[in-house]
Amino acid sequence: MASSVAVVQVRPANRALQLLKLAPGVLLLAGVGYAGKLLEANVGKYAKTHHWTFPNIEYVLWAILIGLVISNTFGVPEIFRAGVATYEFWLKAGIVLLGARFLLGDVLKLGGTSLALVAIEIVGAIAFMTFLGRVFRLKPKLTSLLAVGSAVCGVSAIIATQGAIEADEEDSSFAIAAILALGALSLFTFPLIGHSLHLTDQAYGVWSGLAVDNTAEAAAAGALYSDAAGKLAVLTKTTRNALIGFVVLAYAFYWASRGQAQAVGNKARFLWQKFPKFVLGFLLISTLATFAFFSKEQIGALANLSRWAFLLTFAGVGLRTNFKALSKQGLKPFLVGAIGEVAIAGFTLGLVLAAQRIFGW
Amino acid sequence: MGEAQQAVTVKPKRFSLDTWAVLLAFTLAALVRAGVFKHIPW
Repeated sequence: MASSVAVVQVRPANRALQLLKLAPGVLLLAGVGYAGKLLEANVGKYAKTHHWTFPNIEYVLWAILIGLVISNTFGVPEIFRAGVATYEFWLKAGIVLLGARFLLGDVLKLGGTSLALVAIEIVGAIAFMTFLGRVFRLKPKLTSLLAVGSAVCGVSAIIATQGAIEADEEDSSFAIAAILALGALSLFTFPLIGHSLHLTDQAYGVWSGLAVDNTAEAAAAGALYSDAAGKLAVLTKTTRNALIGFVVLAYAFYWASRGQAQAVGNKARFLWQKFPKFVLGFLLISTLATFAFFSKEQIGALANLSRWAFLLTFAGVGLRTNFKALSKQGLKPFLVGAIGEVAIAGFTLGLVLAAQRIFGW
Repeated sequence: MGEAQQAVTVKPKRFSLDTWAVLLAFTLAALVRAGVFKHIPW
């Protein structure tokens, strides 16, 4: 037995300094988001006073557009980057708070329908992306990453799978770039398709949640259509997120069986580690709201807090999308991703239209 | 066993980003419930 044990205390990083480093970027998110809100309120008014015909553009689109202009012209300076990267944190906090706007019964009813559609979508997307990866002779692990990214939940799923199947970092950045580029395109195409097909808020919201891969883009694509569609897009996407652990586990088993990844030890622990905790937070707040823990005014306040959190997220979606950087990642994975995404969007639209008929959405 | 000196590295426990987001949301919900934030404008 050792006679003495030297305890080397890893110096806790200076948390205050770390938080301070986030401040400029978070302020930029808030500034861009709030500018979007001001533009929504004033551009329409200005156009009306001057008798111009101008479409009513929601703050979501303004915030994304301002972010895209900054990111693709001047670029986001280094000092803002750490704070801008917090947009996912605000997204998750916003989703938990959004739970106050859903009664548990609605969550179970809508979540149950969504779950069935999500299960069909996941199986279809994985099968199709795997087929495309083989046709285009992509590296098998890159194909797995693209399949998981398009089937479950974009960037988080790709990162979780990369670790589990021991894929190259380069493969994972290819897959992430493809998913993000296609997510950015969906922000502009989905609302147009939804309006041209006269989809109801419910059908459109479920479709966005099923077909748009990254959670931030899914929430934005839904909110661009309507507030109600945004809520449903988040609920459907959250259902997809909840399944991330099972899909990653299946891929980990597959690659371990081929001797190209470490075997998974404790499966329950693995699932818990990969399970997105904000889904539990969302369910808990929804349960509390259902049992009248919050008054009507308090639910209104929580809903507005959730909107502010999403405002920061939407600004972040624009600010971190740099088309030049995305285009450098190579054409082939992007092409596979694009063909796959178009097919998945068409397939899920068919599912939603069928559900609309069956359930009378 | 030799009298070897053993170095134990103690890492500070960290929550995931998800957990921090959930904690922030719960804290805000608790503050709203306690009446600290009565009205949040939009």
